Amino acid sequence: MSFTQWLGNESKIILFDGAMGTQLMQHNLDPGKIPDLLNIENPEIVKNVLASYYDSGADMVQTCTFSSNLVNLERQHLSNRLQKINLEALRNIKDIKPSSGKLIVGDIGPSGEFRPPVGEASGDQWKNGFQQQAEVLEAGVDLWHIETMSDLQEMSAAIHAIKEVSQKPIIASMTYRKTKTRGFFTIMGDSLETCVNTLEKENVDVIGANCTLGSDQMIELAKELVQMTDKPVSVKPNAGQPRLEGGNTVYNQSPDEFVNDIEQMINLGVKIVGGCCGTTPIHIQKMRMLIDNR
Amino acid sequence: MDAEEIYKEMADSIVNLDQEKALKLANQALNEEMDLLKVIEKGFGEGIRKVGDLWDDGEFFLPELMSGAQIMEKAVDVLTPKLQSSGSERQSSGKVLLATIEGDIHSIGKTIVATMLRANGFQVIDLGTDVKAEKIVNVAINANVDIIGVSTLLTTTMLNQKKVIEILEQKNIRNNFKVIFGGAPVTQGWVDECHADGYAENAVESVKLAKSLM
Repeated sequence: MSFTQWLGNESKIILFDGAMGTQLMQHNLDPGKIPDLLNIENPEIVKNVLASYYDSGADMVQTCTFSSNLVNLERQHLSNRLQKINLEALRNIKDIKPSSGKLIVGDIGPSGEFRPPVGEASGDQWKNGFQQQAEVLEAGVDLWHIETMSDLQEMSAAIHAIKEVSQKPIIASMTYRKTKTRGFFTIMGDSLETCVNTLEKENVDVIGANCTLGSDQMIELAKELVQMTDKPVSVKPNAGQPRLEGGNTVYNQSPDEFVNDIEQMINLGVKIVGGCCGTTPIHIQKMRMLIDNR
Repeated sequence: MDAEEIYKEMADSIVNLDQEKALKLANQALNEEMDLLKVIEKGFGEGIRKVGDLWDDGEFFLPELMSGAQIMEKAVDVLTPKLQSSGSERQSSGKVLLATIEGDIHSIGKTIVATMLRANGFQVIDLGTDVKAEKIVNVAINANVDIIGVSTLLTTTMLNQKKVIEILEQKNIRNNFKVIFGGAPVTQGWVDECHADGYAENAVESVKLAKSLM
């Protein structure tokens, strides 16, 4: 089955994966080092996390490449490793992907550089940075997930970059915070409605939201989002808010609470569900059971 | 036009993010020999406070916040030489040392906080990113700052925020400084656990927090 067929199958709810970064931290990931480097330095850890999501019943899992666009790597003095990191990330996910019925998603995260007046990034710089990454990943992914974008202009740059090198489907997920009285906006000031309008014009295949919001607030956002667009909708909320307990990062929401919220979002018409920071294979297992028992 | 009206225009120029107008008004204040301290406090300063309120209300976002603060700084730059030569200086709201902690290279949140603090009259020393706790403490002592602000985006590097306080305690100088934390994963629980003096959710809140600690 291809992703497009899944989208066309009205009864199919697509199960995405859970968090990569917070899972890697459980394995004593070196603070400050980008997780994507582990694709080269300790591939077994990456493969274990990826496999744990496929094994938990995810229909599709994304590559460990959130930070491996050129602009981000340049800032960390790692630009010469762009090709190697992305290639090894592909190899790692291919090594553990079950033989049939599952898909590989190319993960594209933000550049970490803002446009003026906040920072100094330009649209061309963004696009070039994403394109170099997409050129490498195109060889092995089935579809794309551009995620955690807080600037619609940067999202557009990433979409254009991918479309230069690929015809595969794109899920475009912005990250929103809730304002006191005006609903959901990105920190750069793009309203949910503006984002939906632009993403429809950019003709992405799925419109999504991930990170920043916990599952409870994501229900509210999902309600608005499914009303605003006829495109399929994807959500990957956080598992509540992180806190430290005895030196370990823990998330204060139980997997069952999270999955109850996910059920409400499916009932609202959301097509793709998964988790962001703090979610684990247990969350994905419980979501699998929820979807299978519908 | 009386002074009060000019102050209002100054505040409006910041809220409207109108740099040309703000600089024109700053020069007008020089030419008309206005009380420059009042110009900053009642004029432009009122503007940047309103920008903060608009951020709180969800009317303004990062681009507006940064533009407002940058215009404020440029307007103050026009006034500073005259203020200094006349011997009266803008009263400092306090001296703040900012750094992103060791292991973390995320700078954007800290940079925005620095810009907002400066716009609100704080003297800011920004040590940049990936700064060791020992260095933060040494600079704080040498520069005799009032507040030490430690930023982190990563839950993994959060632990290093605590190190700053531990070093201050070892040196028996914890009470010489207020220590505040910033960054997405920081919560009141973490602040309590580390015995820090506070944290802020965003740059606007950080200004309120810093003022409350002075």
